[in-house]
Amino acid sequence: MASLDPVAFLRATPPFHALPAALFDAAAGSLEIGYYPAGAQLIRVGAEPLQHLYVIRKGSVRLERDGQTLQVLEEGETFGYTSLITGKATLDVRVEEDLLAYRLPAAQFQRLLGNAQFAGHFAVGLSQRLKSSLELSPVTTFKADLQREVGQLLRRPAIWVEADARVGEAARVMRDQKVSSVLVRGDPPGIVTDRDFRNRVLAEGLGPETPVATIVSCPLMAVEATTPVSAAWTTLLDTGNHHLPIRRGDEIVGVLTSTDLLKVHAPGPVAVLRRVERMADRSGLPGYAAKVTEMVASLLAGGLAADLIAGYVARLNDALLRRLLTFAEGDLGPPPAPYAWVVMGSEGRMEQTLLTDQDNALVFDDAGEPERAWYRSLAERVNADLEAAGFPPCHGGYMARNWAGTVSEWVQRFAGWFEARKPQELLAASTFFDFRKVGGALDLEPLEAALGSTAQHPIFLRYLASAALDLRPPNTLLLRLRESTELDLKMQGLAPIVLLARCYGLEIGSRERNTHARLEAAVKAGLMSQEVFNVVGEAYRFLLGLRLRVQLKLASEGKPAGNKLAFSDLSAIERSRLKDAFRAVKGWQDMAAYHYQASF
Amino acid sequence: MFFSSPAWDSVTYWSLDIETGGLDPRRDPVIALGMLPIRAGIIRLGEAYRTLVRPEAGREIRPESVLAHQLVKGEVGEAPPLPEVLGEVDRRVRHGALLVHQQGIDVAFLRQAFARHGRRWPAPPVVDTVALLRTLNHRRRFTNPDYAETEPSVNLTEARRRCGLPDYQAHDALTDAIATAELFLYLRGALGARTLRQL
Repeated sequence: MASLDPVAFLRATPPFHALPAALFDAAAGSLEIGYYPAGAQLIRVGAEPLQHLYVIRKGSVRLERDGQTLQVLEEGETFGYTSLITGKATLDVRVEEDLLAYRLPAAQFQRLLGNAQFAGHFAVGLSQRLKSSLELSPVTTFKADLQREVGQLLRRPAIWVEADARVGEAARVMRDQKVSSVLVRGDPPGIVTDRDFRNRVLAEGLGPETPVATIVSCPLMAVEATTPVSAAWTTLLDTGNHHLPIRRGDEIVGVLTSTDLLKVHAPGPVAVLRRVERMADRSGLPGYAAKVTEMVASLLAGGLAADLIAGYVARLNDALLRRLLTFAEGDLGPPPAPYAWVVMGSEGRMEQTLLTDQDNALVFDDAGEPERAWYRSLAERVNADLEAAGFPPCHGGYMARNWAGTVSEWVQRFAGWFEARKPQELLAASTFFDFRKVGGALDLEPLEAALGSTAQHPIFLRYLASAALDLRPPNTLLLRLRESTELDLKMQGLAPIVLLARCYGLEIGSRERNTHARLEAAVKAGLMSQEVFNVVGEAYRFLLGLRLRVQLKLASEGKPAGNKLAFSDLSAIERSRLKDAFRAVKGWQDMAAYHYQASF
Repeated sequence: MFFSSPAWDSVTYWSLDIETGGLDPRRDPVIALGMLPIRAGIIRLGEAYRTLVRPEAGREIRPESVLAHQLVKGEVGEAPPLPEVLGEVDRRVRHGALLVHQQGIDVAFLRQAFARHGRRWPAPPVVDTVALLRTLNHRRRFTNPDYAETEPSVNLTEARRRCGLPDYQAHDALTDAIATAELFLYLRGALGARTLRQL
């Protein structure tokens, strides 16, 4: 029955996708299909509860209570489980658009509840659901390169020489076959490599007539062809060999070199960091962005969460920046007085995934005032170098070449921003309020202190909150998430969370910049419940991961970074989780709106 | 009303589809059959019957038909013989109505096969989704004078699309039977039919 469309659809729908095959097949045997025209009432509060679990194949239903719409469910979403679990009809369910639904009788549903994971899907809250969908989503499920089997890397069969072969003969075979090692027949078989010719033949004063048997390494340290690349890498490091024979059962099927394995070794943060540290001059700058993109893509493919990846990117960018500062100081001589290079916006929050516009500024000691030109040149150079490394200039002009000043000037500026009421000023203020020092010796305590006093400017804070609340996620209640719908993940999903988290952080005087850390601080300060934190935090990670995928796709197509996502590019699972995420954001915004109106 | 017709959802409809080795009921073999019931207005996958059919001696699968059903001789050689399959069909449709998409083909093949093997055709009421589509088209012209009445699509996938139903993989007998059953449920509602006679 597995080839039947309805069954296949059910199989792809959570939580059915996680069921063991036997359990699923047994349940699928009882599948039913119903068709309900728009307007049909499937269940009424207090009346007979539903007797089936429904999975929407086409169309939509509206869940209502007391005439209030709670949710609109669409393709790939399930309903009826509240009826089945509680035995009560607690909602009105009305067909919004002609509904084609697959349904499972109550008895089958009860049987499936015996599976902990399946039951968990219906029992757990929103945050857990988001989390599990994150773990199972196609973003992260395909095998990372490091999990590939070594057998798949073999490009040619093993090359052999006979046990009684001479060294000269073995060398000719290797030359003709263009390989750096050859296997030697025998019991047990062995291997001879380029290195053996150097160390065991030439260095010992031996000639081409030497029997290979005298220099062969055996037995072979072979690994099974199904070994993952990551484990094979460990084997090579442990043995100190550069050649790795691969076997299937008793048969040696080929030899991999350390170079073969390096090629698939995902470019991790360590490799990029080494590149930055070894960069002798500015000629190494071009290509940095591409390296970071490559790393991000492979880490995402490897199943790493987007917020962790963002943390790596931030640290690498920081390392690069410090390198650029030494280049500039090398040109200009030592600074006349200490300075601090600060990054702002998403870089300040350590939430930048791919390289986007520069957002930076320069703060220098008041004593450096007479030497302002020195700092301007420093900023000019570093801004240009960053551009060469792949950070485009900032549209809003938030770059150190325009924004360099003494500590006193900055403190004044901060004070001025607290009076900001216009959207443009608020935008500038909030970008700068996410500042983070990356290089230089200047202490920024005066600025930190200014930031810490935000709570004393309640009107400013309220304006900031109202700007944050103006960004609304799409209305999931009546959301017609049609195939053609395009979403702006930044403005409709991420920005509302980031902006509101900033308000919370500033209100409690937290020195955290990172959104997640600000939310955590808000929980500690009692401004937010653990429950809301869990839901919003997971929604944030989910949206960040989605956006990263969009950006990687654009990057691979050579297009500039963007945040637009076509709804049709998502699987049914992701669509439904995306709606969950939007719901989470909206719920939090409603609470925040109350908080900021009630407490001032 | 002289003879009352049963309420539409009190009838069991056996949605049926066959794959054939050609288009001529007198010469070409039935090679696959799928059927499942609609009871009380709900399609029941659990009661589906799906089988390949061994072609009778002398009846060949025409090469052009293979393009559609993708079945070749070797695959159906071990399948149950036609008389056995006809017995299964008979047992089911005897208590209900037969639902097909375009009766010109499926019912013609079945009746021919029943006669050939000395079985009496159970003569169930036949509901044809193509005919229902035609009725719906026709009726729309009454309410909308500008409605261009077109001959309904014989192609099942095409017909389903026009009714807002999802695409299913075509030319598997049971999948087509499911697809037909869903199309029927849509059409029943669109026509507002309350009794079997209105279908």
